[in-house]
Amino acid sequence: MSELMTRRFFLAAGSSAISLSGASDPNPSEYQRGGMIYRRLGQTGMDVSLLAFGSHTDPADRIRAAPPRKNVLSADGQARRDRMITRAFDMGVNLLDVYEEEGQWEPAARIVKDRRNRVLVSLATENPYLDPEQAFRLFGHVDLYRLQAQQSNPAVLESWDRLRKAKEAGKIRAIGLASHDERLLTTALDELEGLDYIFFPYNFIHARGDYSRFLPLAITKGIGLIAMKPLASGSIMQLDPRARPGAKPEFERLQLFGSRVRPVLPAAVAELTKSLDRMPDETLCMAALRFAFGQRFLSTVITGIFQEDLLEDDYRALTTYRQTRPEERAALDAARTVARLCGPEWLSPHYRWLEEQWRS
Amino acid sequence: MALLMAAFLAIVFSLTGFAQQEPFQEAGVCARCHVISVIEWGMSGHRRASTGCTACHGSSAGHIRDERNNVKPDRAPKGAAASELCADCHQTGCPKTAEKAGCQTCHHYHALVDPERPATTSAAARPTGSEARWQAFAKFMEEGEKLAQMGQWAQARTAFQNALREEPGDRRAALRMEACARRSKPDLPGFEIVEKEFDPGTGLARRVRLAGFHIPMVLAAGGEFEMGSDRYEAARPVHTVSVRPFYLGEYEITQAEWLAVMGANPSAHQGDAYPDAARMPVEEVSWEDAQAFVRALNEKVPGGGFRLPTEAEWEFAARKGGAEPVTSAAQSPHAVDRNRADGLGLHDMLGNVWEWCSSVSRRYPFDPADGRESADGSSLRILRGGGYADPVDLLDPAFRHAERPTRRLPYNGLRLARDVPAAR
Repeated sequence: MSELMTRRFFLAAGSSAISLSGASDPNPSEYQRGGMIYRRLGQTGMDVSLLAFGSHTDPADRIRAAPPRKNVLSADGQARRDRMITRAFDMGVNLLDVYEEEGQWEPAARIVKDRRNRVLVSLATENPYLDPEQAFRLFGHVDLYRLQAQQSNPAVLESWDRLRKAKEAGKIRAIGLASHDERLLTTALDELEGLDYIFFPYNFIHARGDYSRFLPLAITKGIGLIAMKPLASGSIMQLDPRARPGAKPEFERLQLFGSRVRPVLPAAVAELTKSLDRMPDETLCMAALRFAFGQRFLSTVITGIFQEDLLEDDYRALTTYRQTRPEERAALDAARTVARLCGPEWLSPHYRWLEEQWRS
Repeated sequence: MALLMAAFLAIVFSLTGFAQQEPFQEAGVCARCHVISVIEWGMSGHRRASTGCTACHGSSAGHIRDERNNVKPDRAPKGAAASELCADCHQTGCPKTAEKAGCQTCHHYHALVDPERPATTSAAARPTGSEARWQAFAKFMEEGEKLAQMGQWAQARTAFQNALREEPGDRRAALRMEACARRSKPDLPGFEIVEKEFDPGTGLARRVRLAGFHIPMVLAAGGEFEMGSDRYEAARPVHTVSVRPFYLGEYEITQAEWLAVMGANPSAHQGDAYPDAARMPVEEVSWEDAQAFVRALNEKVPGGGFRLPTEAEWEFAARKGGAEPVTSAAQSPHAVDRNRADGLGLHDMLGNVWEWCSSVSRRYPFDPADGRESADGSSLRILRGGGYADPVDLLDPAFRHAERPTRRLPYNGLRLARDVPAAR
C-alpha cells in the first residue's frame, strides 16, 4: 500500500480490501446497555465501554513521591478520584486505566475488588522498576496490559516477550502497545507476536491515521484499537471560547484566547463562536468526543477524567451519541482552522509532538 | 446402515449378556462412541466397584464436546502411567504378586479379567501348533533373561532372536534382543562412555560424552508420561504421550561449546563483566541459529543424529528428573554447572536460559506426526524451561512459550538432543 495513499483512495480501496479479506469486521460489534455503548475489543472476546476511564490524575491533587512512583494523590484528591471512578462504573464504564506512577494501583484494586467480574483493569509497563507481579497480587489478573514504547529497539521485544509470557501464564487477558509513533505502530503489527490491541492518539485534529498505513493494516488484522488523547490532552478545551470558567487542560492553562492570541485570529474565532452558538447544549469537547465515538473502527475512547463535571459531560456526549450533525461538523472544522492558525502553541508544550506526528 | 448397526449391537449385547444395557446407562455419554470399551468395562470388577470412566480418564469435558475427536480425553494412561494410576486405589499392588508395575501385562485396560481364568486367549483354546510355538517362545525368553543376568550378552541376544522367530513382532522380545545387542557392543559412534552404568531396559550407557567436544549427555530411556498441565491454557489438556529413548545434554550448550563449533559467540552476556562466560549458556540465538549449530555438529561428529529435542522429549526429561527451579528473576544467566543436577542428571532444566525445542507451536494433544516436527516454515517454535529473569511460576515443566524462529533474544539458548543409535 503506497504511503502516499489519499484518504479517498483508502476509504474506497481499503474498506473493500478489508471486506474481501474476511479477516475481521472493521466495525467492532456494538450494543447498548443502559446508557452505555459497548464494543468488542479486537479478537480478545472482551466488550469494552465506549467511554473508558483514563489514568491521568488531577495535577492539582498530586504530591511528589519517592521513586519508583512519581507522585501520589493527596487524601482529598484520592477521595475525589475514587468517587469519580465509582460514578463512572455506575454509568456503565467498564474499563479503568491505572498508572502506578501516580500511586493508583492499590486504590484502584480496592475499588474494583467487588466488581472484578464486571470491570476490566488496564495497566501499562510505564516504568521498568515497577514489579508487574505486584499488580497480579493486587488485581488477581490484569485484563489489559500494554507496553508503552516510543521507539523500536531490542528492549521493546524483550519487554513484549515478558508480557506474552505473563499472558501465557494466565495472568493477563490481552496485551497491547501504546505509542505515539505511527511507524512504530505499523512495525509492531508485523513484529509483535500476539498483539491484541493498540493505544494510539486520535482526535478530530490529529486524525491523520484515517489514511495512513497503520489503521487499515490494524483493522485487517483484527487488532483492537483504543483511542487516547481524544481531547488532545485537554487542549481542545482551550479552543472553545465558551469554555467553562475554571475548566483547564491537563497540565497547564493556556491563555489561547487571552489578549495575545485573540486579536490575531478574529475571523477564525468569530466563525468558531458562531458555529458553537448553533449547538447551545454542547461544548466543543463533547463534539470532539462524539467525533471519536463515531469512528466505528475504535473499540473505546480513553480520556483522562479528573473533574466531576467533565465526567458528566463525557457521559452526556455518549448518551446523545449519533452521527455528528452538520453544526457539529462546522464547529469542528472551525476549531481545526483556529488550531492551524495558532500553530503548535494551542497545545501544551508536553503534547506538541501531536502536531508534528499526527496532524491531519 | 442404522438397521445394520442396531443388529450388530443386539448381537453384541446378546453374546455378552448385556441385553439390559445397564453398563451403557452407567457409562453415560461415553457409551455413545466407546461401545466396545464399555462392554469390556461392563464385565470388569471396576464396574462392580462403581469405578466409572471418569475415575481414570478425568471428566474429559472438552473431549465430550468435540465430536471431531480433536480434543483427546483428559487422561488416557498407558503402560507405566496406567500402572501409576492403578496404584492410586490398589496401593498394595497386585493381590497375587504384589507387583505395582506392568499391570497391563496381565490385565486388560478395560476388561480387567482374571488372567488365570480360562478365556478365548488361554492356552487351552489355542490351536496345537500355535501352542507349541508359544511354549518355545517362553522357553527362549526365559533362557535369554538368564543369560542376560549372567552378562552373556551375545548368547542372550541369540536366545531373544530365537524367541522372535517363534513369535515374530513380539515387542518385548525385540526390545530385549536390541538391549543385549547394545550391551554386547556398547560403543556408540561419536560418543565416549563416561561411566560403565547401563540402562537395563535399553542396554544403553546412561552417561556419555560427545567425542571431540566433551559435551556430556545423559540417557532419557523413553516411555509414556502425562504431558501438559491444567495450570496453563496452552498446556491443556493433559494427555498421554510416548517418547522413544534419546540422549539429552546434561547442560545447556555453553558459550565455549558454541564457539568451538560455530567459530563465533553471539551471546549478550560475555566479556570482562562475565568472567564465567565460557561456562555460561549461549544465548541470543534463534531457532534457525540452533539448527545451524546442530547441522555443523552433525558434520563434525561421526554418526551425527544431533538435533533439538521435541517439546515432548523435553517435558518427559524434565518430569522424569523431577526438575525444580533453583533461581528466578536474576539479572543474567549463570554457569551451567553451578546448580545441582536433577534426578536424571540434568542441570538447569528450569531456569538459566529458555531452551529451543524442534517443535512448531500447535495446540495439544502433541502428535509428532501432524507436521509439528517439520523443519520447514516460519511458524513459531517452542521454547521450554524458563529463563534467568522470569518469575518462578513460569519455571514449570509444562509451561510453553513460542517465538519466531528467526528471533534472537538474550535469554534464549538450547540444549542438545541425540537419537539413540540403532543397535549393531
